Amino acid sequence: MLEHDVLIVGAGLAGMRAAVAAHERGANVAVISKVHPVRSHSNAAQGGINAALTDRGDDWTDHAFDTVKGSDYLADQDAIEVMCSEAGDDIISLEHMGVIFNRDEKGHLGTRAFGGQQKARTFFVADFTGQAILHVLYEQLMESKVKVYEEWFVLSLIIEDGECCGVTAIEMATGRVYVIRAKTVIMCTGGVGRLFEPSTNGLIVTGDGMALAYRAGAPLMDMEMIQYHPTTLKGSGVLITEGARGEGAYLLNKSGDRFMEKYAPNMMELASRDVVSRAGQTEINEGRGIDGCVLLDCRHLGEKLIKERLTEILSIGRDFAGIDIIKEPIPIRPGMHYIMGGIKSDIDGKTSIPGLYATGECACVSVHGGNRLGANSLLDTVVFGRRAGHHAAEVSKQMEYKKFDVTSQIKKAEMDLQKLLDRDNVGERWANVRTDLGVEIDKHFGVFRTESGMQSLKESLTGFKARYDNCSVQDKGRIFNTDLIFTLELGYMLDCAEAITLSGIERKESRGAHSRIDYPQRDDDNWLKHVLVTKTAEGPLLTHLPVTITSWEPQERKY
Amino acid sequence: MKYALFAGCVSRGGCPELYPATLKVCQKLGFFLDELHERGATCTGAGVLQEKNQFLGDVFNARTFAIAESIGLKIMTICSTCQGVMSQANKRLKENPEYLAKVNGYLADEGLEYKGTAQPRHLLWILIEDVGIEKLKTYVTQPLTNLRVAPFYGCYIIRPSDALEFKLHPEREDSLERVMEALGADVVDFPGKTRCCGFPILTINEKNSVSMVAKHTSEVKDLGADAMVTPCPLCHLNLDGYQPKAMQQSQQNINMPILHLPQLLGLAMGFDAKELGLSRHIISAKKVLSKVGIPA
Amino acid sequence: MQVNISIKRHNPSAPDNNTYWEDFDLSMHDTASVLDALIKIREDVDGSLSVRCSCRSAICGSCAMRVNGHAKLACNTKLSDVIDADGRVTVEPAGVMPVIKDLVVDQTLFWDKVKQISPWLQPDGPEPEGEYIAPNSAMMDLAGVMNCIMCGACVSDCTVLEIDKDFIGPAALAKAYRFVNDPRDDQTKSRLIELNEKTGIWDCTRCFECVEVCPKGVAPMERIMSLRESAMEQGLDQTVGARHADAFTDSVAHSGWLNELLLPLKTFGMFNLGAMMGLAPIGLRALLRGKMPSIFHRSVPNVHRIRRIVKKIEENE
Repeated sequence: MLEHDVLIVGAGLAGMRAAVAAHERGANVAVISKVHPVRSHSNAAQGGINAALTDRGDDWTDHAFDTVKGSDYLADQDAIEVMCSEAGDDIISLEHMGVIFNRDEKGHLGTRAFGGQQKARTFFVADFTGQAILHVLYEQLMESKVKVYEEWFVLSLIIEDGECCGVTAIEMATGRVYVIRAKTVIMCTGGVGRLFEPSTNGLIVTGDGMALAYRAGAPLMDMEMIQYHPTTLKGSGVLITEGARGEGAYLLNKSGDRFMEKYAPNMMELASRDVVSRAGQTEINEGRGIDGCVLLDCRHLGEKLIKERLTEILSIGRDFAGIDIIKEPIPIRPGMHYIMGGIKSDIDGKTSIPGLYATGECACVSVHGGNRLGANSLLDTVVFGRRAGHHAAEVSKQMEYKKFDVTSQIKKAEMDLQKLLDRDNVGERWANVRTDLGVEIDKHFGVFRTESGMQSLKESLTGFKARYDNCSVQDKGRIFNTDLIFTLELGYMLDCAEAITLSGIERKESRGAHSRIDYPQRDDDNWLKHVLVTKTAEGPLLTHLPVTITSWEPQERKY
Repeated sequence: MKYALFAGCVSRGGCPELYPATLKVCQKLGFFLDELHERGATCTGAGVLQEKNQFLGDVFNARTFAIAESIGLKIMTICSTCQGVMSQANKRLKENPEYLAKVNGYLADEGLEYKGTAQPRHLLWILIEDVGIEKLKTYVTQPLTNLRVAPFYGCYIIRPSDALEFKLHPEREDSLERVMEALGADVVDFPGKTRCCGFPILTINEKNSVSMVAKHTSEVKDLGADAMVTPCPLCHLNLDGYQPKAMQQSQQNINMPILHLPQLLGLAMGFDAKELGLSRHIISAKKVLSKVGIPA
Repeated sequence: MQVNISIKRHNPSAPDNNTYWEDFDLSMHDTASVLDALIKIREDVDGSLSVRCSCRSAICGSCAMRVNGHAKLACNTKLSDVIDADGRVTVEPAGVMPVIKDLVVDQTLFWDKVKQISPWLQPDGPEPEGEYIAPNSAMMDLAGVMNCIMCGACVSDCTVLEIDKDFIGPAALAKAYRFVNDPRDDQTKSRLIELNEKTGIWDCTRCFECVEVCPKGVAPMERIMSLRESAMEQGLDQTVGARHADAFTDSVAHSGWLNELLLPLKTFGMFNLGAMMGLAPIGLRALLRGKMPSIFHRSVPNVHRIRRIVKKIEENE
């Protein structure tokens, strides 16, 4: 019987940080991931990780305020206080583990400027910070010999008497189904970017954890808060780091004007992401773009700086757009990038289901509210990943493994899989459905939204579900059957789509990333609250929770 | 056509047949050769010296380039390893003016200065780029019809491709096959042609080195080749000299003759076995000679 | 753009003939990558094609495979750069590692080698309260290796691993460089002692395959050469490889040329009779064929100039 005190689903930054933390506390830990840990999408985080270090004249309360303001006052301030006050220690412990942060001339950790913040407090490794941290956390995992179920795909959470006590999963290399029993399960599965077409997210980002928790009865919170990144590459939609603007790059329209002057005269290109994305999209919509794009201009930064600090986008420009960013501006457009919402969880990662935790992008603590600041996502993963790991490890010490009928769990999962494989080859392919769904949701859930658009999306979801139920899997084998896995993922994405659409329709105001043409103003009187969706036997149930406010009363938001 | 010949150590040392064969062929092609070793040029370092002291290697190579510049001639190499090491050094010297100045500081005593104009090229490339394939065909008096030959490049004339300027000269990538075809031979293509012969680790891990010899020679034998031809004397040392050991270690009867590129050229130009030093190989080249119709 | 993509497939569930080539004719955008073509096949043509991929921007390291016989990331390889005049390109799984299905290989060997070099930071003594102080230049040098995405392209095409699976190999040795040169790590010497063993840094043939195929500019072989230099600097100069480099350098520094006859003597040690006897039959055969290097090692003309340069560099650098 495979069993662990703490079972972590997902091996990105949040998952591996949680694993290291739980291992530290003496728990029997395992990580299960549908890809090898270093393939996780945390890799794609380029620019850096925020922390206000007091020994260089910064104050965590300033960082907290910038985060509150960035969130458009939707984030819970008690959670933000935890994140920002613990950030410094977490950066230092990453450095002690071996992360090779860029340094200043004295050999101390160096910083760069990032959007929506008054101070340069973003620590970085060139422009591959996510990768640099991810690989170091995996080094820690190798050292601690934590068990990793590599390329195992989770099929369901096992809930007994209302408590989470393990998962069923398929080992992709063999196609066999297993039950892994666990005292605690931490979901660290990341976002749901692939629901949108295009998106900056990798193909593996399909909302598995959110959907698994949703199916198990945990509420999803603020799912309408989808972040569009201001600078994604024309065509492929590959991310161009905010670090470029942090280093001083300009945004230009077709006349060569720095259009941010109109939208955020103080912060210019470094306003919050929602603000910059709306500005870019408005320029494009009003005919001041070039071929559906605006331009990101790095030329004046000079070859030396670009080659030292922006190496990744130098090669992205070369390989994916045929552009030398030292000599030419980059055509970019806002592109779907991140989801602020997720599985409702608290500052220790606990969800409404005992034994089930969630942290990282798949969770909503909430520290990002209506709009996440650049370089706060990595911070979120390491602070709350660590906290969840510690908490789950401590709790599991006091617990026994729950008894349940393992055989019937496996049997049921096997049967479901076989039914899917046995469908005639006449049905539609998952890829068709997913692409159509992505285009549809991008159309109605873009930078700007309307009631009618979201309502029509809601109606079309019924059709997409019907098409999904009729999908057939062409690969009938069991070994490394990605055709089967992708089909299952599409099911997860449809659940997320439902929660996103319903939350979007529910929130009748414009706040953060949720920009409604029919309700253009923020409405604190009615909507200074979270929107939650819970799956019930009677269908999805919408509820609200108040926003926790500690020190910062909502104000008008200007950059 | 005039060239500054950089013959390297092995063509006059471990493979003494290569040097005279080269001179013969070049004479036939009407090349005037000014020999750099007579002017005090040193070994390139072969990548081995570079392990210990890359800077010293770069100074030595800059010195050779400066000598060639001083006589106003382009450098011709006849060894893939010399070619690669020189190209790599040249890239470092040319892309960084500060570095070049520092290196030149060590040449000043002799009144030498490397100005960055050298373009060392292997005879193989010169055949294509200066002589031209069509012209080369006119030198063939004894077409190598029916001779099945497998190419074996040697790492350093293939990689790293940027130092070797493959982007500027895409024809370099399959230069050996094109020359072999021009001589009338049948090319036996095989994936190992750009792999390592094993020579650099011969003294370190002989078993692995010899395994590489066995792999490549047996592979082309299975494909029906009569011989392998290489522009690299170090590859020749291993593929030829250690083939008996390779046969022993892999328990196969291989006996694959290994020819230097100038020897293959020489055969097609009508030189005899003795002039080309073909009797000096460990693995007998008699089969090749009889197939071409030249007395052994 | 019309392309014909020929894929080496492997279906482990089929009883026999389960490895075969299959051709697909596709119409692709001019800027499409090899991965775009593979995704199109699995989405629109044949769902049973297995290929690992995620980020599509050369950062996750999932899609290393052989394109036209050489390892590449499928995602940053443009079709237009690799198709021939008839629009054809071949795609195979990565080399060295066993195939699970189609283009998916078992990377256990790859990771076992990484684990072999104890790939985690090992400082001595208590941790400082704040960060370790380290020069930015040292960190940026390491960034050139941390940049490695562990795709396995170098392992796939390594000429040594092809014939000897015990070699630690390019990726793991590049990773070792990252710790040996990390100013925060205190196991430099013991790491070098291990890397100096058989299957370590001296088993590399310096063939440049890994440098050529690395999609991230990590240049593993250059890192291995640097590790050799570090090992010799640390006094680990008694391996055959180190003595070879020493003897070679001595010969060139002394005479301007390589003294091939003395090289084996110095490399194996003057009194290493076993190794010298091992060389004897080769030497004897070579002598019989007139292939033995001239016993009188002649210096280049004006060799004093060479010696002067060597002396000066030794003094200054």
